[in-house]
Amino acid sequence: YPLFQRGGPQLRIFRPNFFMVAVRPGVPQPEDTVQFRVSMEMTKLDIRNYLERIYNVPVAAVRTRIQYGANNKRNHRNQRVKKPDYKVAYVQLGQGQTFQFPNLFPEKEQDAETRSFDDFRDKYMEKEKQKEEGDPRRGGVPDWFGL
Amino acid sequence: PVPGAPSPPASPLYPPVVASITAKSRAAKSRRLQRFNQRVHEAATVEEKLRLYGKLQRPKYMVYPQTFALNADRWYRSFTKTVLVPGMPPRAAAAKPPVATAGATSETGRTPEPRAEAPGHAELAGHAELAGHAEAPGAAKAPEPSVAAALCPDIGELRSLACDALLQESFYQNKKRPFLYRDQDHTPGPFLTQLVSTLAASLSGRNPLLAASSLDLNPEVNYYWHHGEEVVVHGHRKGRVDPVRFQIDDNPHLQIRVPKQLPEVVPLESDLGDVPVIDHKPSKLPLFKKQYENKVFIGTKVADPCCYGHTQFHLLPDRLKRERFIKERLEDQIEVVYRSNGIASLFAWTAAQAMYQGFWNEADVTRPFVSQAVVTDGKYFAFFCYQLNTLALNAETIKNNPRKNICWGTDSKPLYDVVEDGNVKGFNDEVLLQLVHFLLNRPKEL
Repeated sequence: YPLFQRGGPQLRIFRPNFFMVAVRPGVPQPEDTVQFRVSMEMTKLDIRNYLERIYNVPVAAVRTRIQYGANNKRNHRNQRVKKPDYKVAYVQLGQGQTFQFPNLFPEKEQDAETRSFDDFRDKYMEKEKQKEEGDPRRGGVPDWFGL
Repeated sequence: PVPGAPSPPASPLYPPVVASITAKSRAAKSRRLQRFNQRVHEAATVEEKLRLYGKLQRPKYMVYPQTFALNADRWYRSFTKTVLVPGMPPRAAAAKPPVATAGATSETGRTPEPRAEAPGHAELAGHAELAGHAEAPGAAKAPEPSVAAALCPDIGELRSLACDALLQESFYQNKKRPFLYRDQDHTPGPFLTQLVSTLAASLSGRNPLLAASSLDLNPEVNYYWHHGEEVVVHGHRKGRVDPVRFQIDDNPHLQIRVPKQLPEVVPLESDLGDVPVIDHKPSKLPLFKKQYENKVFIGTKVADPCCYGHTQFHLLPDRLKRERFIKERLEDQIEVVYRSNGIASLFAWTAAQAMYQGFWNEADVTRPFVSQAVVTDGKYFAFFCYQLNTLALNAETIKNNPRKNICWGTDSKPLYDVVEDGNVKGFNDEVLLQLVHFLLNRPKEL
């Protein structure tokens, strides 16, 4: 490839080796804010360019922070096990766009058969538990206790 | 009613059964709060009230009026319970274009006064026929020609004053290049100071309130308040319900304080719109917490006779210039900057004025406090008028409080287009007229 100088033709395209993961926020965020886990070496400018150029997402503002992973857990050899650090980016979208993190595990609709089977199973378990407990009039006292 | 029973004693035998003061219970906490409120109510002087009000220091959100945060004006309106009404209040709008208004709107007390005072100011325009136009204030039938005649020559003279100040600062005076990010202190700052002081001096003949006013250069305005409640997240006080504390520390470029208060624009209980309700924590704005002195200050201490506010002038810093927003493709945030500056600074100023008169969130204001502000970046001017109707913003007092604070605001308009070769091109008279109206604003009995 010929050496590149400014203004010349771009014959090679470099894709960044970064990855960004959109995560569900732990605390409720405003509607236009998306939360990402990004590589520790990314800067706010990198995140903005990444989203704007590759994904065509209009970015109004980016704020980052580094989350320290704890070092308190111990393995079977009593050595401390570190959870890895990661960088969190809060991206505010431009042009009035909003984002809501989707519910990835929605409740599945049960048909009548599974519903009646679940009801039957629950009632059976209740009856078994009551049989185990014993006479309620004895107030929790076991049945071997007495004359 | 029973005939043989003894009469009850005059004073009760046992002390009243109330909650304890020192227990770790909600009743005890409310009793402690009531004792504190009683203490502040019974304070003898305003300084003592302010000292007790801001005695307890805890981490609080620092609210900056000049901020780059996105959609900051919505958040600030929810913190201060303010309604934003676009445009200027109807009183000022009626008096603004004197040639265009019908005669019916002249019951605003301002129009008779310029006519009555015009004969006394022969030096203003040299129009001797103005003295002949001194009609009785009751004859409000045809105010247009006389009002137009009274104000038009002033506009020419005031325009020349403004252009002189602008040219002196930007063209005639030989200045070195401004230091990095110090552009605003280099030219627009001194221009604004010069413009305001010369305009105020020339208009003080027409407005006796301005003659008795005091002009502050780079004053400090602070206000501390509570709004809403939150649960403490970390620390030894984890799990307790605390009020959300805010503090505004503002340094306007210029400030005019007057001894008499400006008249109310709309009645105290009027409802002109809705206050935005934001469920999220203020730290998502982003807004940060710090613990330091809880200061309430209008620019001078309590004993000053000029304790009411008239107009503030704010200069936007370099990091909030228009070019920067246009480069980052955030054009809609330009107006947000002006609005958030106007709302936050005026709320802090009017609320601090109210506290200087002895009102606080348990003793709400009985009369509305009105102030004005001009936010500019040297070329573009935005005008704001704020009416404070309520100070009661903390969790208990806001429940049954129907009053809202109101802020009227305009969009930013340029005063001139360019300054070239000793000429000011494209001078906008409306902006100057609005500024003049702001400075001429005064209570009716004056």
